Amino acid sequence: MVSDAMISIDSITKSFGRIKALNNLSLDIGKGELLGIIGPNGAGKTTTIRIICCILKPDSGDVHVGGYSIHEDQIKIKSMIGYLPEEPNLYERFKARDLLRYFAELYGVPKPEINPRIDELLELVNMSDRADDRINTFSKGLRQRIGIARALIHDPPIIIFDEPTMGLDPATASNIRSFIRNLKGDKTIILCTHYMREADELCDRVAIVNRGNVMDVGEPDYLKSKVHGETILKIKVKDLNVDLNKVQDFNSVERVNMVGNEVSVSLKSRIEIPDIIDVFAGNLVSVNTEEPTLEDVFINAVG
Amino acid sequence: MKFTTITKWEFKDTLSSRKSVMIFILQLSILLLMIVVFNSFVANMESEQGLSIAPSLSGFASVNVQDSSGLFQKRINTQVLDVTSSNYNSSLKKMQQGQSTGFLQVPDDTVNDIRTMKPVNLVLYVDYTDPKRSLVENEVNSTAKTMQDAISASWVGSLNPQNDSEPEFSQKSAGGAMPAQVMDRVMLAILLFLPLFLFGNMLVDSIVGEKERKTGEILIAMPISQAQVVLGKGMAVVLTIAIQVALWILILLIAGFQIKNLFLVYALVVLTSLPVVGITSAVSAYAKNYKEAGIVLSFIYIGIVGFLIIPAVAYVARKSMAANISSMTLVMRLLSGEPVAPVDYLPAILCIVIVGLLSYWIAVKLFQREDVSFGPRPGILKLLKDLVSLKF
Ligand SMILES: Nc1ncnc2c1ncn2[C@@H]1O[C@H](COP(=O)(O)OP(=O)(O)O)[C@@H](O)[C@H]1O
Ligand SMILES: [Mg+2]
Repeated sequence: MVSDAMISIDSITKSFGRIKALNNLSLDIGKGELLGIIGPNGAGKTTTIRIICCILKPDSGDVHVGGYSIHEDQIKIKSMIGYLPEEPNLYERFKARDLLRYFAELYGVPKPEINPRIDELLELVNMSDRADDRINTFSKGLRQRIGIARALIHDPPIIIFDEPTMGLDPATASNIRSFIRNLKGDKTIILCTHYMREADELCDRVAIVNRGNVMDVGEPDYLKSKVHGETILKIKVKDLNVDLNKVQDFNSVERVNMVGNEVSVSLKSRIEIPDIIDVFAGNLVSVNTEEPTLEDVFINAVG
Repeated sequence: MKFTTITKWEFKDTLSSRKSVMIFILQLSILLLMIVVFNSFVANMESEQGLSIAPSLSGFASVNVQDSSGLFQKRINTQVLDVTSSNYNSSLKKMQQGQSTGFLQVPDDTVNDIRTMKPVNLVLYVDYTDPKRSLVENEVNSTAKTMQDAISASWVGSLNPQNDSEPEFSQKSAGGAMPAQVMDRVMLAILLFLPLFLFGNMLVDSIVGEKERKTGEILIAMPISQAQVVLGKGMAVVLTIAIQVALWILILLIAGFQIKNLFLVYALVVLTSLPVVGITSAVSAYAKNYKEAGIVLSFIYIGIVGFLIIPAVAYVARKSMAANISSMTLVMRLLSGEPVAPVDYLPAILCIVIVGLLSYWIAVKLFQREDVSFGPRPGILKLLKDLVSLKF
């Protein structure tokens, strides 16, 4: 558990008619932390986020954001959060700059700060040159960038992204990821995604959500280590006549096997990798390690 | 007060949208068409009396007058009635033959009576089977009024002010008058109320559009209450209507129409937009899409138009005070220059305030309900049940 929780979700339950979207979900998010929420479609990620943002009310349970309860101080909580929804549709007729100004005014950004803030954000998302174009002339990637700028307009301490890279091409997606990475620091960030690599790359901690419940939560490496507890070393050799027993004798080695000219070594830790490679000195073609991915963790947890 | 921010931006958005410019042009063409239909523009251009909303009715109704003094005969508007001098016997004969609608008998010693401060009794005979009689009644009535003003003015000017009794004119025939001009006032009133119903789609667009285009979630996530959102959006439309009605009046004035009690009329029309906008907000807040909102609002608008027009027409027919429930009745009365007592405003204003507040409250409540915004949307019956059990 995080001692210095910025957001603390306390066993929330939410049903839509007969569908139980959230089932006693609890989760703490620390100040300045980037927490990933991963889970399959329909897991309850968006519902959780909407409850944090005071868009939906839980049937039971409570959420505290910066010490305020969602049942009491909704307006306070809302002004602390910058939210990029799953479908971040923007007012099409607006020019990018006008859109940002509209939301700046609604969030009550002081008048003299509005223009510098807009310029700064347009700079951040690399959109300065398109500032006076209408939203309806933008590609999906550009819209997403303006959407991010919009979410940041009031310089909120908490930022929530719901599937920010969904439907974007890899280059644009990586672009968006770099914006998010740049925000890391004093901001508390929640990133919902079903791209495991994204979560792995960006997040301090990851919560795996399924069927309205948190299955597991922790640092990506910790979660991954729980799945296999091992790294696989793959060594390709020239001469097929190798003594696998020599490898088996290392303490960190769990299993060794050979398929064709490739030796697979399952390791409990990485410490002895250089020594293991030394065994094959002169006989080496290539060396590779295969790490378990969050995908493996995910499938293991949800599966 | 953050709703003003929303109002400002919604209004800006309206001005920059091609759709609203189209609506505006459409309205102007309807207005111009109406002016042509009234036909008063061209017809009155030639008359030196200037332009008036009343179309020329010459040849429509005729009246015979026996007036040796000539005081009345001179003053009857010949654009409204065809006036012929005649005596009692031949006039009644003509009426029986259907050749004229009425006979006005002015006492021979009218001038003398006026001088000696005696009441002057006008006798008007009308054919009760002739629908045109109301026109005659009205015209004679208003001529009598003009005469009264003119006489008392000259009397005050020439006589010793110690005489404080006024000459009195009475009229034999009584009953409801249906002045021809009143029909025009109804038309003019309808015209002035038209913009109220032409901007509904702007509001539907700004409320239902948030659902259809999925932009509403951001709005709900803003630190601003739903009441302010609804108010802000509604006010943008009220503002648009206010400007539209003002332009409308301006055009009518430029075209030469006389609009009496201009500011009161304007205020009443704009005030009436409040409940219309409120109801539109409530329907839009509940509707899933444009189509649904459009169909429901079409029916509701027909109802509202009926609620406004029927009392107005009823008032024309029988001067019933209950007709004051409709602000259109009041507008029509004001347009005719009829004196309107302050209490007469009460029913309409009360109606506007109650329906306005109620519909606004419903709109806000619907907006706040997450099942309405995000689904699964409750049925009307469920909403009513919640309303009754105070869970709305
Ligand atoms: N407004 C709603 N009406 C009905 N069902 C809903 C609604 N919102 C979410 N759900 C259901 O709740 C579950 C969780 O949805 P959601 O939180 O959107 O999942 P995720 O974001 O993880 O894909 C899903 O089964 C979804 O169908
Ligand atoms: Mg989702």
